[in-house]
Amino acid sequence: MQPPPPPRGCRMEHEATQLEKQHVHSVYENTAAYFNDLQSKAWPRVRNFLLEQKPGSLVADIGCGTGKYLSVNSQVYNLGCDYCRPLVEIARKKDDEVLVCDNLNLPFRDQCFNAVISIGVIHHFSTKQRRIKAIKEMARVLIPGGQMMIYVWAMEQKNRRFEKQDVFVPWNKALCSRHFSESNQSGDKGEFVHAVKTQDIHPAQLVISDCSYQTNLQPETDSKHSPSMEHCLSRACCMKISEEENRFYSALGRSFRSWFFSRSLDESALRKQTDKMKPLKNEGEWASSTVPIQHSRHCSLDLGHHGALLKEQSLDDDDVFMESLPLKKPQWSPAADSLKDLSLNGGHQSVAQSKSEEAAFINGPVENRDCGCGCNKDGAGKSNTSKFFKRTSTTDSTDSALDSAVSVGDQTDATLDTKAFMRYYHVFREGELCSLVEENVPELQILSSCYDHGNWCIIAEKRGT
Amino acid sequence: MKLLTHNLLSSHVRGLRPGGGFPLQIQASEVRVRPVPFNAAFVARLVPRLRWAALLEAAESLGHPSELPPEPAADYEGDESFLRRVHHILLEVEVLEGVLQCPDSGRRFPISRGIPNMLLSEEEA
Repeated sequence: MQPPPPPRGCRMEHEATQLEKQHVHSVYENTAAYFNDLQSKAWPRVRNFLLEQKPGSLVADIGCGTGKYLSVNSQVYNLGCDYCRPLVEIARKKDDEVLVCDNLNLPFRDQCFNAVISIGVIHHFSTKQRRIKAIKEMARVLIPGGQMMIYVWAMEQKNRRFEKQDVFVPWNKALCSRHFSESNQSGDKGEFVHAVKTQDIHPAQLVISDCSYQTNLQPETDSKHSPSMEHCLSRACCMKISEEENRFYSALGRSFRSWFFSRSLDESALRKQTDKMKPLKNEGEWASSTVPIQHSRHCSLDLGHHGALLKEQSLDDDDVFMESLPLKKPQWSPAADSLKDLSLNGGHQSVAQSKSEEAAFINGPVENRDCGCGCNKDGAGKSNTSKFFKRTSTTDSTDSALDSAVSVGDQTDATLDTKAFMRYYHVFREGELCSLVEENVPELQILSSCYDHGNWCIIAEKRGT
Repeated sequence: MKLLTHNLLSSHVRGLRPGGGFPLQIQASEVRVRPVPFNAAFVARLVPRLRWAALLEAAESLGHPSELPPEPAADYEGDESFLRRVHHILLEVEVLEGVLQCPDSGRRFPISRGIPNMLLSEEEA
């Protein structure tokens, strides 16, 4: 049982708002322009849920992002809303009916929707109370008998799990170029592909980013080369996209190098947050519950047990990014390198965000993305990783999540990408979402719950007649 | 923003009396009319969900009087001409630029490129 929270409501609420502003909203806003819907496939279960709604239903997608679910069922009226205006603008370009609003304060009258979906949204709320409020708001706008589907990122992933529930996930713009994304969004893909074909690019000349990753071939790579490097990268991206679009995009999602762990803002979680790495029980169950379309694996970085973790990680099977690009694997693995200068002083180091990567990650937890685990496969990488993460402050119940977030060590030699952004997630344990609803949202009755590609999913119905 | 969407929208400024945020008054500076394929069954299912008076008022305020009765007739489901008029006003008329104003608080929410921005500040929520 958890102790009752001390009376710090207002301060907690303000901190929560600030945390989300910095590590959710600002990140999505700054990266939205790079977002490309190709990276995000509609999840089968969500699709089915939408397709099962009766014609003429009013359906809301709360946290719709670029609106990939808004066109699944043309027999219903789909209304999407999101806090992030740039994402909503992208949906709008597809003629979706969308608006900008706050999940915690939905601008709808009571009981007006037949169905509501919340896919990969609730896990961005930084306190339990806010997560409850988000669910209650969605329940409020549902008609009695109406159904809600919620997807959140699971702590338990296939083969491994996050060490902690409250995490910052960084990513950086280096991994996808502006040129590529913009041209795709404008629908000029043909033109862009043409440009690519006329280029004489030797794979060995490709560099990963404008200021970060070193390649085996160009150890002096640094930000001075950014314009041409970005261009090279865009060509690389482009070449691959024209051939293996989906792989490229899913690879971006997998390129996340590492995880930072923050303290939970939840007062109830102020007890010690160290979890030991445990093998998943019923691992076979996870495997068999996956839908055989995409493949997801999110790496979790164990601060104290990197050895065990690395042993578990396999830089994958068919979906490994390295294999789909004409680049050598080592060029992609130095997670430590990429995060050298990152500090989490309120995330002030975050500069430009890679929108396409962000997009890959927006759907990261929900989509099936193999995570390019943040650890090097070679020995050097292992030690880099272990030096990499350290806590900036000791745990203290009055600390904000930002203050106590792990900061990156400064022990790597490579040039660093200082433009990574950190997105906040509260990953859910098995049963947590169900309990949250059962204990706090009596107006909802849970109909079903399952684990789907690294996410906990529930379908609940609004009680009443 | 289509008028069907508008019919669902309500202001949630803190401190409003129940129902005080609905319906939002539309002040449109740019309206577009665009055909949408008609589906009688679809429209018929929507009718009972609508706040009818608010719909008529919204249509009027856009300069698109709906030619709809003050209440749907009992046999509306079979009345295709009625359903077509409902279809038109709900789905084919869009506000691209303008403002939505909360009736009780006066709070104004902008509509830009067809997208209403319903975010409240921390103090207002």
